[in-house]
Amino acid sequence: MATMVLHKGERFERVYVNEPVDLHIVQEAGSQVKIHVVNVPKDIKDPKDFKDLKDVRNTIVVEQTGEGCETEIYALAYLHGDDAVTTETHVTHAVGGGTSNQLIKFVLNDTSRGHFIGDLKIAQDAQKTEAHQTNRNLLLSEDAQMRTQPQLEIYADDVKATHGASTGQLDESALFYMQQRGIGKQKARQLLVNAFMKDVIEAISPQNSAIREQLIAHIDSES
Amino acid sequence: MSKLLEIKNLHASIAGKEILKGVDLVINEGEVHAIMGPNGAGKSTLSAVLTGNPAYEVTEGTVLLHGKDLLAMEPEVRAREGVFLSFQYPVEIPGVSMVNFMRTAVNEKRAYEGKEPLSAKEFLALMREKKKMLELADKLNNRSVNEGFSGGEKKKNEIFQMAMLQPCLAILDETDSGLDIDALRIVAEGVNKLKTPENASIVITHYQRLLDYIVPDFVHVLADGKIVKTGDKNLALELEEHGYDGIA
Repeated sequence: MATMVLHKGERFERVYVNEPVDLHIVQEAGSQVKIHVVNVPKDIKDPKDFKDLKDVRNTIVVEQTGEGCETEIYALAYLHGDDAVTTETHVTHAVGGGTSNQLIKFVLNDTSRGHFIGDLKIAQDAQKTEAHQTNRNLLLSEDAQMRTQPQLEIYADDVKATHGASTGQLDESALFYMQQRGIGKQKARQLLVNAFMKDVIEAISPQNSAIREQLIAHIDSES
Repeated sequence: MSKLLEIKNLHASIAGKEILKGVDLVINEGEVHAIMGPNGAGKSTLSAVLTGNPAYEVTEGTVLLHGKDLLAMEPEVRAREGVFLSFQYPVEIPGVSMVNFMRTAVNEKRAYEGKEPLSAKEFLALMREKKKMLELADKLNNRSVNEGFSGGEKKKNEIFQMAMLQPCLAILDETDSGLDIDALRIVAEGVNKLKTPENASIVITHYQRLLDYIVPDFVHVLADGKIVKTGDKNLALELEEHGYDGIA
């Protein structure tokens, strides 16, 4: 794993789509990181043809070593067949006054497996840190599996930190509502799945609008 | 006048508890039927069973829509055949925009009828026309379905969807609940404008108030899972005055 140092005030922003991600970023004061990690079938219309999501491991390590850093991490995995994706994030606030936001989502079909490991550490000196970690997972098959391991270590006392992890199924009442309007069950499911995934995609910055539009079209193409 | 809906000896239960205990009802084209009754009588169960809500189990009886076996159809097929439910509690669907939802619904119905999908332009024109009828704001298109809508907006949105889909049988389940008098007027006018000699509606309500605006041809009293009395609109006035105790 290569280490990247972001010097004072620098910004690093990137969207990784089906690329191996193994990042170690050291942030100096006032620097900004925004990362999207997206694992989706290449051809969403026939996801079973896509063979590249077997034992994918995404590793993101970020250390805030100067004051006032910003870190945003978004990850989306849309899994089918026997896909298996592990995403791990290790965010350390060594110095105070920084923010970190993480939104990690998995959608699991068939016998796919997802694994999220999220370490969030706020050191004793990192006062006035604001850190949020959210992991939401949608299980679309009884045979799919999700493991989620958030781990928070907070040693400072004047911080704002939240974390939440939930794994659920599609909202049956929303499905019925859509069917009652004549929308077939499969299509209704797809609309709900797309809606679940959309906020991660929509968080991609306008300067990456080409890839953002491509992904929105990609996930909409089924419905 | 031809038969639109024929319910015979309908029994239904939820979680093993029998709620409908033999409902018989015939609805002809062009008619408005009001169903009134005390809480727990089975009014909402009837609408759930007619639309195929999977939480309910039909244990006995038949329902024919235009002579076809309604109970054998999937919920979406019943909808495409023209059964529409204005939900008592419309469901919020975050992340699914009204325009996407409605376009999918309209085009699924058209495909079922063997028609071409509407073009984006035709579809948006139709949305605009129907929104105007329900006095709904333009920004509706990009809002998520029912998300953050006020009680009145949700009910207007139900009738808006009804206007878009033009059902042959509209079931209005407590559409008046939670509406102020202006919203009630708009909703009722919407329903009245959608009335044709070929379609029919079932108006489920607690109160006579809505029936001042949507005048029923028949009023039925549902109590303990059965229709116990049928009359004309004057029955609703009687119920308002004397309550259900004298009847049920």
